[in-house]
Amino acid sequence: MKRFGILLGCLTVLSQWSPAADQIAWFGTWKGGLAEAERTGKPILLISAAPQCHNVPGVW
Amino acid sequence: MDRSFLADQDVIAASRKFVCIRLATYENADENEVLKGVFAPGGVLQNTVFSLMSPDGRTSLVRAGRSPAWAFGGQVGRGIHQQPAEVIGKMAQTMEAIALAYPGKDKPVGRVPLPYLADLRLALNVAAADRLPLVAVFGNAAQRKQMEQRLEPLAWADEFLGRALYVPVTQQDEFKSITGLKTQAGYVVIQPDIFGLKGKVIQEISLLSTAAQLKQSLSTAVGRHQPSTLTYEQHRSQGAAAGQRWESKTPNTDGIGRSRFGPRPRP
Repeated sequence: MKRFGILLGCLTVLSQWSPAADQIAWFGTWKGGLAEAERTGKPILLISAAPQCHNVPGVW
Repeated sequence: MDRSFLADQDVIAASRKFVCIRLATYENADENEVLKGVFAPGGVLQNTVFSLMSPDGRTSLVRAGRSPAWAFGGQVGRGIHQQPAEVIGKMAQTMEAIALAYPGKDKPVGRVPLPYLADLRLALNVAAADRLPLVAVFGNAAQRKQMEQRLEPLAWADEFLGRALYVPVTQQDEFKSITGLKTQAGYVVIQPDIFGLKGKVIQEISLLSTAAQLKQSLSTAVGRHQPSTLTYEQHRSQGAAAGQRWESKTPNTDGIGRSRFGPRPRP
């Protein structure tokens, strides 16, 4: 059950699999993104995930 | 992104009116604390966090949770990538409404900075996960400043928006997991390996390039990137079989809160 739960956790946020399509342009740090939000007055879309699944990297 | 909400064209269009921040969970203690302030059942940081927030980063404007499904409904767990169209539409509509409430400043002071990742180790992994090329801005502080001024307008132009990732690099020894490096300073376009632990140089672009030369060279280099074609399951199984492992910089506490605090609330 725990293993299944971890798998679902890995699947919760995945990167795009078709890089040719339009994608969201992400700031990669809170400091950099927050500074830009404060500079522009734009709201923030925040998401976070570990870039690994079962410790295998290269996947959200 | 999650092949549903964040890959939807209406959500992507609405995202241009937001500053979009994607953090790597468990990689930075300070960012962990920020994330815990957004969503952490029982004070325990989970693998994933999602919210839409005010420009000062202090107020969630929707119900924060592990994914957009917590705020807008839809599937969690299996089936997450086949969200109902009306649920995805709800996210896009909510973002448009928030953008109307927070239209941004008429003339923000300063330049739009590069959306940097924290360091090359993490950037390689994230680029592999995104299946995108990685552009290292390599040089000392003065050189990087010069390069950033040329690269920033391109990074936010339609041709390149969301089609490459960026990382600053100061020292040559930071490239120890990258093959093919020759330059002492410049733009270094990198092909991450499938698992994001290594990489190879696709192209080096002179830091003295004019804006037009940089645009041409960057377009060529990005076009040479070869994204992985593995399915999610193939990626995970091949990575495990090959012993490809990622060690986060801070302890992974995913799941601890969930078992204690039950399933997600239904919208």
